[in-house]
Amino acid sequence: MDPILLGALVAIVTILVLFSGVSVATGLLIVSAGFLITFDGLRSLELMPEIFFGKLDSFALLSIPMFIIMGAAISSTRAGADLYEALERWLTRVPGGLVISNLGACALFAAMSGSSPATCAAIGKMGIPEMRKRGYPDGVAAGSIAAGGTLGILIPPSVTMIVYGIATETSIGRLFLAGVLPGLLLVGLFMVWSLYSTWRSGDASVFADRSYTLKEKLAILPRVLPFILIIFGVLYAMYGGVATPSETAAVGALLCLIIAMVIYRLWNPKDLWVVLRDSTRESVMILFIIAAAGVFAYMLSSLFITQSIAAWIGTLEVNRWVLMGVINLFLLVAGFFLPPVAVILMASPILLPIVTTAGFDPYWFAVILTINMEIGLISPPVGLNLYVINGIAPDISLKTILTGSLPYVACMVIAILILCFIPELATWLPNQVMGRAI
Amino acid sequence: MATQSNAQPAETGSNPFLKLVAALSTLSGWVAAGMIVLAVLITCQMIFVRFVLNHSTIWQTEAVVYLMISATLVGLPYVQRLRGHVNVDLLPLMLPKVARRILAIITLLASLAIVGLMFFYGFEFWYEAWSRNWKSDTVWGVRLWIPYLAMPVGFGLFLLQLIADLLAVISGIDRPFGLQDNR
Repeated sequence: MDPILLGALVAIVTILVLFSGVSVATGLLIVSAGFLITFDGLRSLELMPEIFFGKLDSFALLSIPMFIIMGAAISSTRAGADLYEALERWLTRVPGGLVISNLGACALFAAMSGSSPATCAAIGKMGIPEMRKRGYPDGVAAGSIAAGGTLGILIPPSVTMIVYGIATETSIGRLFLAGVLPGLLLVGLFMVWSLYSTWRSGDASVFADRSYTLKEKLAILPRVLPFILIIFGVLYAMYGGVATPSETAAVGALLCLIIAMVIYRLWNPKDLWVVLRDSTRESVMILFIIAAAGVFAYMLSSLFITQSIAAWIGTLEVNRWVLMGVINLFLLVAGFFLPPVAVILMASPILLPIVTTAGFDPYWFAVILTINMEIGLISPPVGLNLYVINGIAPDISLKTILTGSLPYVACMVIAILILCFIPELATWLPNQVMGRAI
Repeated sequence: MATQSNAQPAETGSNPFLKLVAALSTLSGWVAAGMIVLAVLITCQMIFVRFVLNHSTIWQTEAVVYLMISATLVGLPYVQRLRGHVNVDLLPLMLPKVARRILAIITLLASLAIVGLMFFYGFEFWYEAWSRNWKSDTVWGVRLWIPYLAMPVGFGLFLLQLIADLLAVISGIDRPFGLQDNR
């Protein structure tokens, strides 16, 4: 069978299998085994355990459970609320300080937890009621938090970026840096929209925030600084060449657990178990998908599908921007249904050769891919963040959350366009810090 | 990360087999969590030895990687029990009750088949390393059957949890896909 045709068949079968409700990792194994048996015979399955095990046999992967523990420890505390309060106290004189401090808190908490739903929940629990109380429109209150939460997968340290780095064999440190400026760009766009739409709603009085004394401003700092220092410490150790991401993340995880226990008094074994249980569940889920996607990628290349598709795209001679447009559309649709990690693992082995052949930077592409995944997090039908917001603010209708989030989706699309015109936004910082990529 | 919020943890009712499997899966969850914590501690110890004491490290890197792999494999049944393996539940949510149940049975059977295959070949993979006394080609030279053991054990327990899930759906003890009845 022609490999291209076979590739199309694999794509269709994979979509059908995944939509049946089977778990993503198991589904990938089912599809891989099915095609291997059909086209290579039953004996080819003997290799599956070796590939599965081999895919996980990497020290770099260790950073995933480590960063997840770090995030889970932080999320289990009041750190989100404290961070939110701290920013609010300090930004009170800025016009629209409340929505700005919400988005700022989202960005910072996103960096600390690396998780989008956790960011939404932690900041939203405080931020949404407060914004509504002060008269911000429901749509802005819900939408800004839903969108702010998505920054978790773009702003370093991000588990999604680690997974991309491992799937494409690119530098995780460089990927983290590539996400910084685009992350700030998104925060900026979100802020502009929030302020504009609040102002347009005609109730400018909400901008007059209450004021705090210097004492109140200083009192909050000891509760938020430790975690922020750890994050910066982890990033500094990585870029200072002191240690690898996995090593620094392990130290970060241990420190965050200790701080959660000491400062936030997370002593109760039950509470500690919740942190460990959640991190174990999340890590196992992701690592299982990584191993299964490894088997899937092996199947694709042993049936010559990966190679043939890359060669075929090369002969098409389409404009590279048209190609990028099509790829974006594909990622966007995939992101509507699948979690970011699954999309990255399934798509990157096929997409990256195409993208780099067309002359795009793999780190720039990681940012574009991630922003596409962020859109999926606040769009129906799966849009996880929408449901998180719905959970913490049940009296805002899902429709209001949805329409409130749409303008922020537009901000993300604008960010993708800006990045297409100014790719340096993603590539400049890594090049400055780590030298040019070879 | 995406962990979907629609599903509830698996129900066992008063069925002794389901309860036993649930207990086994919970135990493997504890073991997996313990291994991850151990990996954190060993990594920190390694950094201490290397950067503070300025010694070289021999076994730590390999040990933490094997701990992480084992935690993943042994954690599979526990995460299955918590329904933490992320899936696309759009179609199951749209289907009427009977069809949803049939679909759940089909997907569980397919999962059983593939996990059964992985268990079988995983056992062979382990047996080969054990009978030929393979060692890793590092300074530490660990006997490979030890980390490889996680393969048959993890997939074996996973198989058991899937069988329990299938029985629970067929006997009506648990809801298909763990979803609430149509909202």
